[in-house]
Amino acid sequence: MIKTIKPSKSEKILFLFLICLSIFAFTSFFLLKNKCLFVEKNNLTNLNFNETNNIVVMNVECGNVIIELYPDISPKTVERFKFLIEKKMYDGSTFYKVSENTFVQAGDIEYGNINNLDYSKIGSGKSGLGLLKSELNKDFKFTEGSVGFARTTEFDTEDSEFFITLKEIPIYQGEYTPVGRVVYGLDILTKIKTGNKAIYVLRPDYIKTFKLLSSN
Amino acid sequence: MKILFLFILIFHISHVNADEIYNLIKIPNLEIYKLKNDNNIRYLSTKGNFKIGVNKNIACDKVNINNLNSKFPLIEKNLNRYNSNFLNKIKLKYVVLCENLFISEINTGGIPDNKNRTLILDINFNKKYFERMIHHEIFHMIQNTHNKYFDEDKFSSFNPTSFNYAECSTCSNRLNLDLYKKTNGFLTEYSKSIPSEDMAEIFSFLMTDKKTIKDKIDNDKVLSNKVNFIKLNLAKIDKNIL
Repeated sequence: MIKTIKPSKSEKILFLFLICLSIFAFTSFFLLKNKCLFVEKNNLTNLNFNETNNIVVMNVECGNVIIELYPDISPKTVERFKFLIEKKMYDGSTFYKVSENTFVQAGDIEYGNINNLDYSKIGSGKSGLGLLKSELNKDFKFTEGSVGFARTTEFDTEDSEFFITLKEIPIYQGEYTPVGRVVYGLDILTKIKTGNKAIYVLRPDYIKTFKLLSSN
Repeated sequence: MKILFLFILIFHISHVNADEIYNLIKIPNLEIYKLKNDNNIRYLSTKGNFKIGVNKNIACDKVNINNLNSKFPLIEKNLNRYNSNFLNKIKLKYVVLCENLFISEINTGGIPDNKNRTLILDINFNKKYFERMIHHEIFHMIQNTHNKYFDEDKFSSFNPTSFNYAECSTCSNRLNLDLYKKTNGFLTEYSKSIPSEDMAEIFSFLMTDKKTIKDKIDNDKVLSNKVNFIKLNLAKIDKNIL
């Protein structure tokens, strides 16, 4: 007859410790590693908009970022932005310039696409559509979630690159062309990969798709 | 251990502190000091040391806030003499306030950068010349944006034919900023360095000590011609500056 050996108290503690350790390891590898875990995805079917013509949807790794455009403030820039979206030229565009909790920047059509990334030239690419005149607005405040068109150190050099502010940046008022504002999904943008202390990001996150809501 | 510490230190120093202000004017470690002003100048101060330029040849240190607070009223008073329209024309919007400004290891009071619409000022610059230095640097911004009005050959032609300027502003030992008792066409020793410094010196005196200029030009034909040249051409940009 086989005698059942009861585990001692210390063996029970050790067993419990091992179970806890495996749960912790599992969570670390599969759950906590997922940066999008606690981010709301913004399902478009659950959102209602009165006017859809100036609503655009940028899909990134963690979900949809919904932006309202302001053609009344910057008609030419918004027209360019919508054109680039319609032609899918932003699809695959990387967030190559990211300052943690400050801003994210993407839209280099020529050198910033995930399929054709050129680290030596990124930020200097052109869309091929020519430069735009800056449409500055001295009253527009670059608060959290503002979308602006990027430029070089000179005005009237806007092309396709845009940035989204993740906090209020008063110094940008009157400096950049405002394009619109994020209405849903700002928390998604805070999950975009940063370059730690450097302004440029290696192996950056990118825009999966960018669409006009009216085209959905 | 020491090597590891050194490595960590170098790693941290070599990183550009990426932020929204760096994105705008390409100078790291800055923060807003005063944003809203009647002439739209935006004052920024250094929260850490910075090195910029092609070979990192421009360096300046973090400001001591008490030091800055005590010197700021004087800086603001002098810069308030320029209206926003004029500042737009000379491409000046940002004034960076730091301590111990060096360019290529030479201490300097200010560095203008029209491209980024920025003027860097050393708040520790010699008190005696501080106000004049501000206007001196402003003149460089004026000249950079209105080169056609301040033609250096034309300006140099006012000097006696025997006189030659140096090759560059720091190529000679003509660096003293004190006013000459007997001017002979030049207000200071530094005026003799290069034409643009000569013009900037005249402008700085016109902005800070008009009476001295008036007294000096009565007995100095060369200086009188130079002063008239500056006044005449400045009036083409803004009639109310002088």
